[in-house]
Amino acid sequence: MTEGLLLLVGLFLPLFPLSMVFNEVFQRIRIANLRVVLLLIWPQIGLVIAHTASVEIPDWVIFWALGSALLYAFRALALREVGVWTSFIATSTWAILWLLMDGQTDFSKVALYALALSVPLALLVLLSGELEKRFGAAYTGLYGGLALSLPRLSGVLVFVVLAIVATPFFPGFSVMMAAIIGLSPHSFFAAVTVAVIWLLWSWAGARLLQGIIVGPAQDEVKTDLSLNGTWVYSVILILLVISGTYSIGNL
Amino acid sequence: MSLALGEKLKIRSMIYVAAEPVPFFWPMRSFIHHNPLHGLEHLPFAEAVEKGSKIFHADSFLHRRIYQDYLAKGKIDQKKLELVIADFVKARPDIPGINLEHWLLTLITKTENPVMLANTLTDANDVQAVLSGVALSSSANISEEFLVEQLREQLLGDRPVYESVDALYGTEISADLDELMVKSCLDFFDEGQSVWSMPERKRGFFAAWRHVARRNVRFFLRRLHIKEILDVDDSPEGVISHVMQALEIPEQCWTSYFTRELARLHGWAGFIRWRSSAKHYHWSNEYPGDLVDFIAIRMTLALALLQEQGKHRIAYTNSTINSAMETRVQEIYLSHEMHSGQVLPVMAHKVEMALSTQAEKKIAQVFDEYIQVKRQHEATRQAERLRQLAQQAGNKDALMTLSGEDLSMLLESLREFEKQEGMCWLRGMEECAITRLTDDIKLAPPIKREKRPFVQSLFCIDVRSERIRRVLESVGDYQTFGIAGFFGVPLSFMELGKGSESHLCPVILTPKNLVLEVTPSAPSNDAAALSTLEKALHDLKESILTPFVTVEAIGLLFGLDMIGKTLAPKAYNTWRKRFDHTKPPTLLLLDKLTLEQADSVVRTVQRTVIIKALEQELDFKPENITDSIIRRLRECALGNCEDLTELTQLLGTDTTRTKTLVERLRDVYQINNSFADSQLEQLGRIGFTFDEQTNFVAQALSSIGLTDGFSRFILVVGHGSTSDNNPYESALDCGACGGSHGIVSARVIAQMGNKSEVRRRLHKQGIDIPDDACFVPAQHNTTTDEIELFDLDQIPPSHLFYLGRLRKGLTSASHLCAQERLPTLQQQPVPMDAIEAYRKAQRNSVDWSQVRPEWGLSRNAYFIVGRRELTQDANLDGRAFLHSYDYRIDPKRRLLENIITGPLVVGQWINMEHYFSAVDNEGFGSGSKAYHNVAGRFGVMTGNLSDLRTGLPSQTVLDKGLPYHEPIRLITLIEAPLTHAKRAIDAVVSVKHLVRNGWVRLMVVDPETAEIHIYDGDDDEWRSQPCSTVNEQTLLEESSAS
Repeated sequence: MTEGLLLLVGLFLPLFPLSMVFNEVFQRIRIANLRVVLLLIWPQIGLVIAHTASVEIPDWVIFWALGSALLYAFRALALREVGVWTSFIATSTWAILWLLMDGQTDFSKVALYALALSVPLALLVLLSGELEKRFGAAYTGLYGGLALSLPRLSGVLVFVVLAIVATPFFPGFSVMMAAIIGLSPHSFFAAVTVAVIWLLWSWAGARLLQGIIVGPAQDEVKTDLSLNGTWVYSVILILLVISGTYSIGNL
Repeated sequence: MSLALGEKLKIRSMIYVAAEPVPFFWPMRSFIHHNPLHGLEHLPFAEAVEKGSKIFHADSFLHRRIYQDYLAKGKIDQKKLELVIADFVKARPDIPGINLEHWLLTLITKTENPVMLANTLTDANDVQAVLSGVALSSSANISEEFLVEQLREQLLGDRPVYESVDALYGTEISADLDELMVKSCLDFFDEGQSVWSMPERKRGFFAAWRHVARRNVRFFLRRLHIKEILDVDDSPEGVISHVMQALEIPEQCWTSYFTRELARLHGWAGFIRWRSSAKHYHWSNEYPGDLVDFIAIRMTLALALLQEQGKHRIAYTNSTINSAMETRVQEIYLSHEMHSGQVLPVMAHKVEMALSTQAEKKIAQVFDEYIQVKRQHEATRQAERLRQLAQQAGNKDALMTLSGEDLSMLLESLREFEKQEGMCWLRGMEECAITRLTDDIKLAPPIKREKRPFVQSLFCIDVRSERIRRVLESVGDYQTFGIAGFFGVPLSFMELGKGSESHLCPVILTPKNLVLEVTPSAPSNDAAALSTLEKALHDLKESILTPFVTVEAIGLLFGLDMIGKTLAPKAYNTWRKRFDHTKPPTLLLLDKLTLEQADSVVRTVQRTVIIKALEQELDFKPENITDSIIRRLRECALGNCEDLTELTQLLGTDTTRTKTLVERLRDVYQINNSFADSQLEQLGRIGFTFDEQTNFVAQALSSIGLTDGFSRFILVVGHGSTSDNNPYESALDCGACGGSHGIVSARVIAQMGNKSEVRRRLHKQGIDIPDDACFVPAQHNTTTDEIELFDLDQIPPSHLFYLGRLRKGLTSASHLCAQERLPTLQQQPVPMDAIEAYRKAQRNSVDWSQVRPEWGLSRNAYFIVGRRELTQDANLDGRAFLHSYDYRIDPKRRLLENIITGPLVVGQWINMEHYFSAVDNEGFGSGSKAYHNVAGRFGVMTGNLSDLRTGLPSQTVLDKGLPYHEPIRLITLIEAPLTHAKRAIDAVVSVKHLVRNGWVRLMVVDPETAEIHIYDGDDDEWRSQPCSTVNEQTLLEESSAS
């Protein structure tokens, strides 16, 4: 029974190969708002199941989760389609939540951690929609130089990606630090693996931005993100920074 | 294998021809403004820029929206646009229901994006189908042969093979190759920046690189089989031939292939090209290298990288690529679309997935879908653009009723026009600038002066002189003239304490005479101590271990230096100057030495060397070295005395030591006859004969029309700039002085002009300079606007009374000039007080964080050859090169020919450099200074590894990302009768071509007919118009004067 529950949780806090379900579902959905909902809800379902059933996490699952996170972080390095990139990074980040379900951390705290990891990804989905509207697809390496042609969209995109890759002051940073601090007394190897996963996210993030933001601007003029839209994104990012800064104190 | 001599020469000549479009790149220590398309100046401007854009992958015109903004601000003449469009339409077929002129005007003035897209699969019928709202005909399926032909055009021919491979397979060989090439160039061409230099450099670029590459472990680890390629032949030509054959490049394509290879790193190629042709360049003589070496290394690396990729089943020769295209056209087409950035974004993921499966069926399925989607996409977008244009032109219905044939003609006309659009805007912009100038021209006769002016000043023609001249004329009785900043005296200069010569003249001239700077002052011990300390610090920083200790020990000192320079640059620099070694007062050796004098100089030098040798070899104290010892040693070393007995006694040593000393004097200290002869030969280059001096002064004064009415003070004002932490400092100096400060040239001509012997000879030529007229050299600092007087100790005592008034006038002019100029350097231009502006300008010159200490020659637009009165009342806003000229004293046109041969050509180079840097700062310019790093002490790179950045940085030509320099061709105005000007132009072939090919715009204002004649090189025709500011009196006076 426990194994069955673990597998069920492993579907929502994706463990490879169960993670393929989430990725397939995510990629089949083409509507941005639905994708946002999926990103916000999917890990919460897993957490609720785990909490309600009081599932105990065996050690081998931790290593399975680490393996899954590592695999998807590594795969994200070579991806060019922003949607697929988002789902792979989501899979990788949510797998980290397994490390925090050690029975000592409050459920509500882990749920907030999951939300903190999902919100920037949800923002990226919305931004992908903006890119698709302008270029037909959100894809790296096809149309560079957005920093010059669409400065507002580029600015927001940069900060959203920074939030996704758990840069200090964003909540993801606290999640990763909590995972490393929690793991290091028990398994130095696991803590180092988390750090490596974190590094791979940053690398993948840098490659994503490099393929979209930098380079010479395109000749064709495109409309930038509206001022109101920029404000909305900025406010959400500021809230993320505030919550991230606040959560550093709890480490 | 060794290539036959004939084959080697063939390859050399191919590379020579291939390099013609690549512009020279001079070391930045003496920045030379040049036309990046100089190698294409034999072509008409429009044709050359089209070709140049293809070779260098850069834009030659601004974006349409910037031109539209200029149009809205009245900087472009709309009537001219309409005329150019009308001319274009005349040559196009009529399209029923379409007013093409109106459509084209709407196209460029009201639409932001190009209407015509780079369609590859769609045609007019498809566009018509979309416009009519019907589905695309299925009969127009795209054949595979058609696609193969498209691929062949894009991938084969003269395109470097690795570029094609990158475009086909998504590899990054081009970037790898460029990186390896840049590293090789940095290693070899380094001029002292690196502590460890490349071994075997004296053997030449290819030989030295070959020596290292055969042992390079990193190449081995990367599995690059360089050694196998290099083993084929010892010579660079042999290696090139081998690689070209291995890649199966047809021999008829080799020259254009080499051009494309060179253009990929055209900064380095331009530097090597210049360097191999600079016979006087020390580094080139020591470490030779040319473009044949460059191509050989590049081809070797390219083949090695391709072979390495070839292991992954990648086709990398012409025949294998061709065969892949024919046998796997669907896969190759999709792969090319994917990796060349042409893929439809909406299909990108699908294409990528299909290619990654390598499954034929899947690829075929995606291929069919892709072709249909792309065709539909192209047709839809094209139709949408046309619809928008038709709507803006107010003629939407006409579009819907066009037949397929008419629509095809319309599309063709639009495509052709958009190709020529840049020239259309440029001509409109130039027309506006011409109108502005013609409105400012004043043909009124010069006002007769009752008394001579207080000061006459000769300024450089540089555009920055226009402001200071205008302001100086406004503050007092100052008359100013414009002349090229080397004042017509090409000279080679050896500065005090430096062992190398610098050429102070435009690069198109080669000076014959050498001027030495000498000082009567004894060398300062403090200075020597300071320079020793600096050297010690430098050594500490550059060795392997000491930097760590140095940082700990004295790092804080550097920190203080940094804080001072950052927070209070002006005050800190003033304080720090006290520790800097100040140059003692110097004299210039201008007169030719007689044989006796030269011999005496050689003896004196030998004497000094012998004293040093005695101190070093025998530990003699200076007070123990007597004249007789020196004389005897010299005679023995020169072989005039065989008997060493007396010398041994004088030295107080044994015969063996004396013999050794004499031999060392001959071999090491160069006290021998052959070296003495070469020294005498060198001394023969020093100075000018009196005839030469007289001719130079006469020519300078005549060319500007100053042959009588001399003032008490004749200021000869050179110019230079001062800025800190600025590799482009030399670009702000005097172009006519080879990118150096102009003060030396000013001192030279002033010294010549003050000589009584020269004046006596000038008198014979009809130029009577009164005894109380004194030439005073000065320097205009273009960053601070300060004018500093030099050689004041040579001013006659009687003139000292007037110095106060002169200084006051110059200071006022400096302040007012700064007041006019400084707001343009501010983020938010606001008017400011003159003193405050002057203070801020001074701060700019010492602020190491200042990326734009001044605008330099930005916004240059005009080159005016004529009397000052022509534009004296106009504010030309620092945009005009002003060369004074009076055609009435030049009946044979010699002076005018000299002006257009030298100064005009230099002006055109400056103008073109600014033009291209402004229209495409990344392609032709050097991008932002913020990312620049000095490379090898002769250039800059962006980041740590890039091509040498040519052209001007964005901070010089752009303001907030938009052009500050308004890019137009140099509008040259000559004040002279039309036939006079035409004959002068025709007599100078290079300038005639520049004018005819439209690289400069020519205007002639004829004072005798009061007409302005404007030549349009693009249409090859003259048009005339009356000068608006003229009266009959003028005409009368001019006619009688001529």
